[in-house]
Amino acid sequence: MSAPLPELLAPDGAIQAQTARPRARGRARNLRIWLPASFLILLVGACFLWPLVYPVPKPTGGSILTSGLPPLSPGHIFGTDPVGNDILSRILYGGRVSFTVGFSVTAIGLVIGGLLGMAAGYRGGAADAVIMRVLDVLIAFPALVLALAIAEGLGPSEMHVIWALSFFSIPAFGRVARGATVALRERTFMLAARLSGTRGPRVILRHVIPNIAPQLLTFSLLGIGVAMILEGALSFLGLGIPLPEPSWGSMIAYGQQTISASPDLVLIPSAFLFATVVSLNVLGDALRERWGVR
Amino acid sequence: MTAAPAPRPALTRRVAGSPGARLASRRLLAAIPVLWGVTFLTFVVMNLLPGDAAQELLGANATPAEVHQLQIELHLNEPFWVRYGQWLGGLFHGNLGSSLASRQNVSAILGQRLPVTAELLLYAFTASILLAVGLAILAARRPNGLADRISMAVSMIGLSVAPYVLALVLVYIFAVRLQWFPAIGYVPLSQDPVANLRSLTLPAAAIGFPLFSVYTRLLRADIVEQVQREDYIVTARAKGVAPWRILLRHALPNSMFGLITLVALNLGTLVGAVAIIEPIFSLPGVGAILIQSITNHDVPVVEGIVVVFAVVVVLANLLADVLYAVLDPRIRYERSTS
Repeated sequence: MSAPLPELLAPDGAIQAQTARPRARGRARNLRIWLPASFLILLVGACFLWPLVYPVPKPTGGSILTSGLPPLSPGHIFGTDPVGNDILSRILYGGRVSFTVGFSVTAIGLVIGGLLGMAAGYRGGAADAVIMRVLDVLIAFPALVLALAIAEGLGPSEMHVIWALSFFSIPAFGRVARGATVALRERTFMLAARLSGTRGPRVILRHVIPNIAPQLLTFSLLGIGVAMILEGALSFLGLGIPLPEPSWGSMIAYGQQTISASPDLVLIPSAFLFATVVSLNVLGDALRERWGVR
Repeated sequence: MTAAPAPRPALTRRVAGSPGARLASRRLLAAIPVLWGVTFLTFVVMNLLPGDAAQELLGANATPAEVHQLQIELHLNEPFWVRYGQWLGGLFHGNLGSSLASRQNVSAILGQRLPVTAELLLYAFTASILLAVGLAILAARRPNGLADRISMAVSMIGLSVAPYVLALVLVYIFAVRLQWFPAIGYVPLSQDPVANLRSLTLPAAAIGFPLFSVYTRLLRADIVEQVQREDYIVTARAKGVAPWRILLRHALPNSMFGLITLVALNLGTLVGAVAIIEPIFSLPGVGAILIQSITNHDVPVVEGIVVVFAVVVVLANLLADVLYAVLDPRIRYERSTS
């Protein structure tokens, strides 16, 4: 298996670590990358593709005749909810929403926060001070208040949840990108690039981005999990994805009301959310080790 | 993570005597713009939202005249800058204003609800730090040993589980099934200390377990790195110091720095956890009223809670920096001689 990134781009320690590693531990490490990665690919595939090729009952508009079936009922592996919707189908369609929110929030944070952080770290001086002060305020500010206020003000919808949660991801990515860029600034190749008259944007594109990419990508994996969890948190406060459209978070939030009578309404979506976030975190850890990111 | 040793003008050196006090005053000054930014941002966000408190309080059936009447009563018809100025002026006199919904004094609301939240957070932090230190030392004694593998697995679970999922699973196991702890409700400390702890155990576990996991990972990684790399550990080992003593007396104190920073940073993010966990357990803390106030556009209450948490975060970070200087002579002397 070859490293997903060319060796040249990995930070100094990584190359050494790879050659010095005993084979058995190397295999265990590969497993820690491929196991969560294939689980995630399968799950994303199931959520986005399975309903297209295989007839799955609709996630909404269930019949009262089939309401409240327990798991392992014929035709409904995970049972049905109190209004008769098939839980498996809600898990699949809800997974679409949860993954979409997770990926979008992280992508927005990566692009906007990453650019701000790189600009601050590369330019230094006044730009750095201003950008970091703003991000400091956003970090000190309880972001949930902001996200809640936005979700409340704009009304509940998938798009608004994504924008509201971006207030968490943008400052976080900004911090990471700036820290990594500052660490690069004094390196010889950066100095060489500057001395040879390369312009700022080009230095960032050719030298900064390839070098901080491993750090930002592993951080993104953690970020996707956090965003999926936060999407559920908004649902808990009644400001998430509106009913009847499912998301894992809203399924957990609405299942809460009947937890003593039918705990599986909470436990099934919780298990999917948990397994997904564990996979993302294990994958992030393993890649960080492989790429030698601190 | 120490503050950058930036060159300081001679003026500040003359102002305060001891290095700790100097550091503290400098950090306090730097915190003021951040605190101001937080209050201002809250005000802007709350005011940009469509609708206002008068509309929310009267409901959808209110006539425009009634809404207008209440707006005048609550001073909502005044321009944004006037309202923010008045609120900020009140803040300087220690007056947080009064709730638009209940007309109750915000300080009174906070005085009633903050102790519950404070006790919950104290419980969660104390338990998670103590358990994390214990588990991290057990794990670091033999890296990749059994204890280490278990600690890594447990902390991976804690890092990945959503606090609300944890809360619901705990409720289902320990309150619905085993009935060891109450599922909801709060017993004041003055009424019955044992029942008070029992009523806070599940919510504290839901908030504390993720913290415990982060702290365990951090401490374990730091101790292992020290033991493998640092000369003073080699020296101690060569002198024949017992392994336990090396971990506890030589490695652990150095690892506490990272932990202190992290605890201080965590405090700020816990507003969110509190806002979600408290309502699940029907605890009468600031969490429930915060959500309700955001929905009602009750700006003074939201501002009051945000200000209290922001001040706590700033003070905690400050305390962490001062603790550094107290714990580490190198930081102390570097600052006093530079």
